[in-house]
Amino acid sequence: MSFQTRLAAKDFIVLAEMHTPKGINISRLVNDASRLKGRVDAVVIPDMDNGIMRMSALAGGVLLQQQGIETIMHMYCRDRNRMALQGDALAAHVLGIQNIIVAHSTDMSESDHSDAKPVNDLDETELIESLGTLQKGKDISGFDLDGSPDFSIGCTLAPFSSDEELAASLTAAKAQIAAGATYVVTPPIYSEEGCSELLEKTKHLGVPVIATVFLIKSLAIAQYIANSEPGAKISDDLIRRIRKSSNREQEGIKIAAETILALKENAGGVLIQTLGWEHKLPDILEAAKL
Amino acid sequence: MITAERKPLEELIEYIKPFKRILLLGCNECVTVCSAGGRKEVGLLASGLQMAMLKSGNNIEIRQHTLERQCDPEYVEELVPMINDADAVMSMACGCGVQEIAMRFKDKPVFPAVNTTFMGASERQGVWAERCQGCGNCLLGETGGICPIARCAKQLMNGPCGGSVTGKCEISDDVDCAWQLIWDRLKSLGLEERYMEITPAKDWRSGGGSGPRKIIREDLAE
Ligand code: SF4
Ligand code: SF4
Repeated sequence: MSFQTRLAAKDFIVLAEMHTPKGINISRLVNDASRLKGRVDAVVIPDMDNGIMRMSALAGGVLLQQQGIETIMHMYCRDRNRMALQGDALAAHVLGIQNIIVAHSTDMSESDHSDAKPVNDLDETELIESLGTLQKGKDISGFDLDGSPDFSIGCTLAPFSSDEELAASLTAAKAQIAAGATYVVTPPIYSEEGCSELLEKTKHLGVPVIATVFLIKSLAIAQYIANSEPGAKISDDLIRRIRKSSNREQEGIKIAAETILALKENAGGVLIQTLGWEHKLPDILEAAKL
Repeated sequence: MITAERKPLEELIEYIKPFKRILLLGCNECVTVCSAGGRKEVGLLASGLQMAMLKSGNNIEIRQHTLERQCDPEYVEELVPMINDADAVMSMACGCGVQEIAMRFKDKPVFPAVNTTFMGASERQGVWAERCQGCGNCLLGETGGICPIARCAKQLMNGPCGGSVTGKCEISDDVDCAWQLIWDRLKSLGLEERYMEITPAKDWRSGGGSGPRKIIREDLAE
């Protein structure tokens, strides 16, 4: 069943994130993705997420579609103006991508090309609206299209570290839902403890909330996130658990699986994010009995 | 200087319609020089607004005042004794001045009366042209004193493009090709070899690429 059908049926959605290479070596992407065939509803391909210049999401998405894996392509506003964005959206449809997440973009100053000129011609809400316009057969300037594309559109909840920031993120998400997004993807959740609060705060959005579950790969990462992200909810107990474990890698996988299980009751789905450990995705799915 | 143009009267009327007492502010600096929002323009706009409002059966009170420099908190303080007599402020200063008023008087609606347009120079009486985009890392020393960022339609760093014809830019016969001007200047300065050097991709961090900019002078900052 396609991602769109399952989303509409309010089934629990399972997505996995996979990055395109910084270069042209696609073997890892294709291999890792092919191991997920039939096990996830779709693979999410971020674009130059976290500000890292890499192969475009459009190309990555098309590659995986060619392998028979449904993909969701990220689009965002930092790097392309309205012409380029619309052109990519049309290209995506023609090349078989029907799912787009309009993502929050990391600021250029935090990218690996911090000297680049940011575009930000549209904002995320306007981009979602313009994707809707394309679906109605017009471009942003009102000119007729020769054949219109069809997309399912999701949005992201911007990362937040305080209640005020969360309120701002929720306001932005509401605007994006009003503009046409039919589901929302949260910032990373690191453990079971983070789940209920986030779901509580997002339930009024009225669309499926897909929680991003982040794989904690090492003790150092857990400590780093706990220290640098005040809202991360990585408790001392959790850090102790990882430290004491005889197999920390496996422990991280277990924690991710427990988080997924905790979300299963109330979330619209999960997006599993491993940032470089995509080969571990089958193990996480296994551990979460998915 | 910062240049600006008055907004259409209809737009300004929409802003002030809900209010009875307006404080209409001018600024004695750039907007005076480019005849958009100095004392004279404040007077003209005040009567224009008053007449238009009267025609539609509304009587409004407009108090006029022109500050020495509206983007300077020191001068903005001058408004304290009069601000409470106004329901709203309309400012003919550039966007910097309008924001200064909004920041100082938090509970007062503030509306811009001009469209702040560019940093430029006067070419002749009544004509102003863009000269600088405040990129934060001035290249004029390399380009013969002519800015390719503000004056080349494509912001080429290694121009000209193929559209430069008899010294004019491809976007319009009214626009000089910045790269023709740069070439002519370099030539007259005997710096033709400079033109052959390839300028690398510009670092836009100083040009606002990393968000709103601020200058902090440690020797002056309190
Ligand atoms: S190079 Fe930069 S600072 Fe210099 S005139 Fe051009 S825009 Fe202004
Ligand atoms: S014609 Fe000259 S000014 Fe116009 S875009 Fe080309 S190089 Fe720039």
